[in-house]
Amino acid sequence: MNTPLQLVNIQKHFKDGDNEIEILKDLNLSVEKGEFVAVVGPSGSGKSTVLSIAGALQSADGGEVVINGRDINQYSDKDKSDVRLKSIGYIFQAANLVPFLNVYDQLKLVTELAGDWNDETKKRADDLLESVGLANKAKKTVQHLSGGEKQRVAIARAFMNDPDIILADEPTAALDANRSKEIVELIAKEVHDKNKAAIMVTHDESVLHYCDKIYEVHDKKLRLRK
Amino acid sequence: MFSLSLKEIKFFKLRYILIGFILFFVAALVFIISGLANGLANDNASSMKNMNAVSYYVSKDSDNRMDRSRFTATDVEKIKTNDAQPLGIQMMTLKDKESKEKLDVTLMGINPSQFLMPNVVDGKTISNTSNNDVVVDKTLEKQGAKIGNKLYAENSKTTLTIVGFTEDQTYSHTPTVIMNTDTWYKIFGGKENAGFNAIALKNDNATTKADVKNAVADGKFVPKQDLIDTIPGYSAEQSSLMMMLAFLIVIAVFVLGAFFYIMTIQKVNQFGILKAIGAKNKFLIGSTMLQVLVLSVVSIGLAIGFAFVLQQIMPNGIPFVFDFALILKFGGALLVVSLLGALFSTTSIVKADPLQAMGRAE
Repeated sequence: MNTPLQLVNIQKHFKDGDNEIEILKDLNLSVEKGEFVAVVGPSGSGKSTVLSIAGALQSADGGEVVINGRDINQYSDKDKSDVRLKSIGYIFQAANLVPFLNVYDQLKLVTELAGDWNDETKKRADDLLESVGLANKAKKTVQHLSGGEKQRVAIARAFMNDPDIILADEPTAALDANRSKEIVELIAKEVHDKNKAAIMVTHDESVLHYCDKIYEVHDKKLRLRK
Repeated sequence: MFSLSLKEIKFFKLRYILIGFILFFVAALVFIISGLANGLANDNASSMKNMNAVSYYVSKDSDNRMDRSRFTATDVEKIKTNDAQPLGIQMMTLKDKESKEKLDVTLMGINPSQFLMPNVVDGKTISNTSNNDVVVDKTLEKQGAKIGNKLYAENSKTTLTIVGFTEDQTYSHTPTVIMNTDTWYKIFGGKENAGFNAIALKNDNATTKADVKNAVADGKFVPKQDLIDTIPGYSAEQSSLMMMLAFLIVIAVFVLGAFFYIMTIQKVNQFGILKAIGAKNKFLIGSTMLQVLVLSVVSIGLAIGFAFVLQQIMPNGIPFVFDFALILKFGGALLVVSLLGALFSTTSIVKADPLQAMGRAE
């Protein structure tokens, strides 16, 4: 199974008053292991919608969302949250950390939710904090971290349950240019090292050279940039 | 789940302390009112409550009121069993010859050698032969009564001598003056004129009841609590305090419900994020309820401690009785009430959308 994520003929509409607005039509995308894919496009083009459908945060109106060989589009909310917990790691625009937990407990929480807290995952938490450069801040609460550091914690958290898919939604939106590069470089390194399938939605052209493939949202579909 | 709940409480101390205080004060108020209700009940009717009888035989036309019921002494004497004893109760004003004070008391005529006689805590007890000797409730001490003092009954020109004190023996908020049946007859115009108000039964045995019914006609058996409820003023006091308690508990549901709701609403975004990274409703509701449980147990526990301390420092004039079993019952009710209030807000946890985690810069 080298293609953890496949989107097949995805359709999505939104209701705006009486009008139905079509956002995505017959969209196809597949991401291989070890592949870091960027999705770019103007605001409102639907690039975040692609990500939320791929990430089981909302359902497509038509088509198949195949994660590890299973179409999850019709799953119940409970089954979808299991998919999110175990197969997908998220990095959001805002780091979206839990305000009252320290750095180490952020990682522990997702593993505990999966009922998986043991010696192996303890070691994984230490290794991840090491590789995002926060080993010396493990016991700090998130309010004492800078924006870049928070995002690093979010990256470590995304990899914590060893998911096959990493999804990043504008991870650099709240950061300056130098921090942005560091963060995307870190995501790219982790994705390649750990052989994950990753999608990043961004409008920051300066970080695209870290990605293996770049798709543009065009006419409700994705088009590979040559 | 447990450590997550505790860490959140620890982190947002002020928020939880404020809600904890509301719960603490509501609980303390509930305990204080229940203590007062209890204290008033004791102050009013402790002699009946502490009486070693399970039910009473009163006149059919007495409306279950002891003061309206009457049996003649000659009928009562026909009762053979010792498990049924006559009881005379009459409110009266006596004059203490030593302190010159007029005292409102309830005279109680009984057979001192049988089960109706309470324990004497100070001085001597009385017997069937110790005529004109009485044992009085300790609250009379505050009005100057001492052992050896003479109490004068105007209507029969009888003088009674205090020989001992007993405790928690009041009737209709007045202290009781307990005497043997011969003294009772003397005060109320001799055996042929004096009567008794009720016949107290030590047990509910059919043979005891049959014995009473055969000897004394035109009566009915009434459980002890029914007779207490008809003591003048008793129901009025208790029902108004009970109404306050009921309202307090209803108010507590809504106040706590509103606070927990606001707190949950505030966290909807956080719930959305937790759901996005894979937390389930069950986990989120569980950890919220756990927080409320911890908060409630601590606050109610402190309120119980507070009510206990209050009882120690409360001036003697305020009737306040800390009944641990009753307070535990009310404490349990408040715990249920606060969990119920928290349950209202769990719908907003279920409704929290994981999609909220996306597209929002800090």
